[in-house]
Amino acid sequence: MENYSSALNNAFFALCDPTRRAIINRLIEGPASVKELSEPFDMGLPSFMKHIKVLEDSDLIASRKQGRIRTCQIKPKQLLTAETWLSKQRALWEARTDRLAAYAEKLAAKERAK
Amino acid sequence: MSSDNADLVISRTIQAPRAAVWAAWTDREHFAKWWIPEPIRCQVIKMDLKPGGGFETRMSEDGGKTFVPHLEGCFLEVIPKEKIVFTTALTENWRPFDPWLALTAVITMADQGAATAYRAQVLHKNAEDSRKHEEMGFNDGWGTVIGQLEKLAMTLRPAR
Repeated sequence: MENYSSALNNAFFALCDPTRRAIINRLIEGPASVKELSEPFDMGLPSFMKHIKVLEDSDLIASRKQGRIRTCQIKPKQLLTAETWLSKQRALWEARTDRLAAYAEKLAAKERAK
Repeated sequence: MSSDNADLVISRTIQAPRAAVWAAWTDREHFAKWWIPEPIRCQVIKMDLKPGGGFETRMSEDGGKTFVPHLEGCFLEVIPKEKIVFTTALTENWRPFDPWLALTAVITMADQGAATAYRAQVLHKNAEDSRKHEEMGFNDGWGTVIGQLEKLAMTLRPAR
């Protein structure tokens, strides 16, 4: 589907920030605590938590708290498939062109029947 | 990566005269019936078939109660019954726009006996995608991420 609504923009927004991309890159290697994730960054915990929240809200990561430690992990369903963006675009345009062909053929048949 | 890698070419022989294919593309009512797959409904907001003319479609997943943005762009070239070129990198009257997916589509139609040779060439902004790859440090994973985000976005309720 070619929905390019703002919902999609929200998801892209999550990854247009270098800090959030770095978090995702780290989490691809395995779960990590917020403390561990925040170590490479020179920012306060409240600012860092905002980034975590954006990633959670866009459903790219999940986190859970045990005692005083919040552990984050990637949502593999969202990130681990072999399907590429371009093959999706191809499928979309192929299907769209099939629908156009069927529609134009129906239109021409109607015209001939007149 | 050459930009060819980000281009798609889709060709069909349509068993209908060129006039019918042209009508299916350029009549708003006809166009709305095939542009987006059912059961999603399509609404054509703008289809001003001239260079610089606006092109905008909206879609509804709740049977037509609410429509959300689908595509917004601008026509670059229109030759009746031959060619339509539009882009999403500009909106009406050539205004620069930064869509989530920049593309230019070159649609051509030619007679093929009584049928029509239809071709859609879809160009994507490959340079930027390459850059994103590097920034992400994902190598070929960026395409996967975009695919996933696209899937994900479909499960999210649009914010506007």
